[in-house]
Amino acid sequence: MSEEIIQIETPFQFNEENKQEFDELIGRYPVKEAAMLPTLHLAQRQEGYITPAVMKYVAELLELSVMKVKDVVTFYPMFFEEPVGKYVIRICHTLPCALRDCKVVLDHLKSKLGTDVASETNLAKGTTDDGKYTLMKVECLASCDVAPVIMVNDDLYKNLTPEKIDELLEQLPS
Amino acid sequence: MVEERRILYEHLDVPDINTFDVYRQHEGYTRFEKAIAEYQPEEIADMVKDAGLKGRGGAGFSTGEKWSFVPRDIEPRYLCCNADESEPGTFSNRYVLEKNPHLLIEGILICCFAMGIETTYVYIRGEFTLGKKMLDAAIKEAYEQGYLGENVRGTGQNINIYTHPGAGAYICGEETGLIESLEGKRGQPRNKPPFPAVQGVFMKPTVVQNVETLCNLPFIVGNGVEWYTQMGPTYGDARFDPPKADPNTGTKLYCISGDVNEPGVYELDLGLTCTELIEVAGGLRGEEVKAVIPGGSSAPILTHYELDTRLDFTSLTLAKSMLGSGGIIVMNETRNIVDCLLNIMKFYAHESCGQCTPCRWGTPWVRDIVQRIADGEGRQTTITRPKFGITESGRWGDTGETEEIYEDLDLLESVANNIANVDTMTWNTICVFGIAVSWPAVSYMRKFRPEFEAAIREGKLVTLPVAEATVPPEENYAYQQRIIPKEMTDLE
Repeated sequence: MSEEIIQIETPFQFNEENKQEFDELIGRYPVKEAAMLPTLHLAQRQEGYITPAVMKYVAELLELSVMKVKDVVTFYPMFFEEPVGKYVIRICHTLPCALRDCKVVLDHLKSKLGTDVASETNLAKGTTDDGKYTLMKVECLASCDVAPVIMVNDDLYKNLTPEKIDELLEQLPS
Repeated sequence: MVEERRILYEHLDVPDINTFDVYRQHEGYTRFEKAIAEYQPEEIADMVKDAGLKGRGGAGFSTGEKWSFVPRDIEPRYLCCNADESEPGTFSNRYVLEKNPHLLIEGILICCFAMGIETTYVYIRGEFTLGKKMLDAAIKEAYEQGYLGENVRGTGQNINIYTHPGAGAYICGEETGLIESLEGKRGQPRNKPPFPAVQGVFMKPTVVQNVETLCNLPFIVGNGVEWYTQMGPTYGDARFDPPKADPNTGTKLYCISGDVNEPGVYELDLGLTCTELIEVAGGLRGEEVKAVIPGGSSAPILTHYELDTRLDFTSLTLAKSMLGSGGIIVMNETRNIVDCLLNIMKFYAHESCGQCTPCRWGTPWVRDIVQRIADGEGRQTTITRPKFGITESGRWGDTGETEEIYEDLDLLESVANNIANVDTMTWNTICVFGIAVSWPAVSYMRKFRPEFEAAIREGKLVTLPVAEATVPPEENYAYQQRIIPKEMTDLE
């Protein structure tokens, strides 16, 4: 896809560290396309979310069309196409967590953060005004024995109650 | 009371078992050493077949048989380890990855040796950041110690393991969805055949195995087939004459969650009953068991009449359910089955990959019907059929028999059965996601019909007492064939 269609103001590029990691992982696969998911994870870690510039850059790296990258980005819920808060709070609401009152935890989080729950097409809805938190519901996090659970960025928090949520939010560095 | 038999989980709580040195001290890698020293690759494959190991990921297909489909003359061949544990109610792989990753590496090494595979991809779900970190560290150690890399332990074989992160899609746990995702595409499952064993990742022969299945391999090699087959029941498959052995050997990592006092992973021999498992997990939290989901949210539900069903592959198949991934969710008398179904249907409506029309449209449709019932807006009509008989005036004529029709329940069953028919076990979709949708939808509705009817009739969710909410055994479509006939168990 040509640049006339996608307006890119500032081009994206991997930093030194990520470039190295990319070079290492591209060698793992017999075709470049297979490195798509790990590459997008790297890019999202650097940029915060997948911008059109990121897609263009990844497409060039993997020698694919931008559309192909976009195709993948839209399929997977872990890739964001909009800015998200510094802390992404994922709360599990599937049956085992629901049986252990995840709704109480969710309601508490909503009132505490003063925000709604983000939907996949509208992440801003679940992001606090100061851009610190994004609250989203996700499906089973495979920790049903310690339900209800949330993930804050990469970390899992178990057996939650409203009190534990208060403690946790206080501990997070601003 | 049934005792836990920890084999895969034996050293799980040993401090620092995730490091090479400590793992080595606990028999680590000795089974792999034994495999390369004492056996030919084909012998290992035969051992796995003789041990009757069934895939622990969900389908329960014989691992040895799967391996025998892989053409050994096409190079390269791949192993994909499925660590995309996303089935609601399942969480045993997470602990292996986070606490004892070297066990998985040893399992992979044995599989690679048996099948002559050089490259393994471990597809880890994106949310398992800690698990991936621990496995990556263990892989690094294994490279340093010469258990991975070129010419592993003098076998002349190169073995490489790479971890590959997923990105939050449930469907990537389906083997062909996983392969598509690994190739850098949308995780939309492929048509079978060709099966992955023949044309899998990068269109090369591929073995796809769950973490738990691979973790069983060191113990089959280390302790022998005879030792392994002593665990768990072996039935006779009566469809064959003479009955063919249908093994349910080994232990299973049962993940139990929901209304029990001590939820968690319990490693037990296959073949214990639901009641026994609930007892092992610290007993029920509540007064009475209302329902049990025996194998992850995709599995048809069991009522309190069916709690003596044994939790193994064969018995649960006979009970028209499945062991699946071994995620057992228990519900007590306070739970409303309509509400539970709604939760599960929201999950499936969210996770449908959108490839096949019946599933893409049918799954949200089923969700909407259940939502409508839960909101108290379920549709109900009274119809009058002509019926000849003696009328009130004493004459022969139309008596005008009326019948209550729960329109939405019929619609629910019809839509679900058109995604995948639970009675004939045929699905109108590419992958088995279709049956994973209609199985819960139809089984919850049929087995707990009074509760669904009450919600429609009363215009709100009504939680009935357990005995009233459940259909009696004689009306339960799955109850009759449930008990394994005695002649099937007496194989000897």
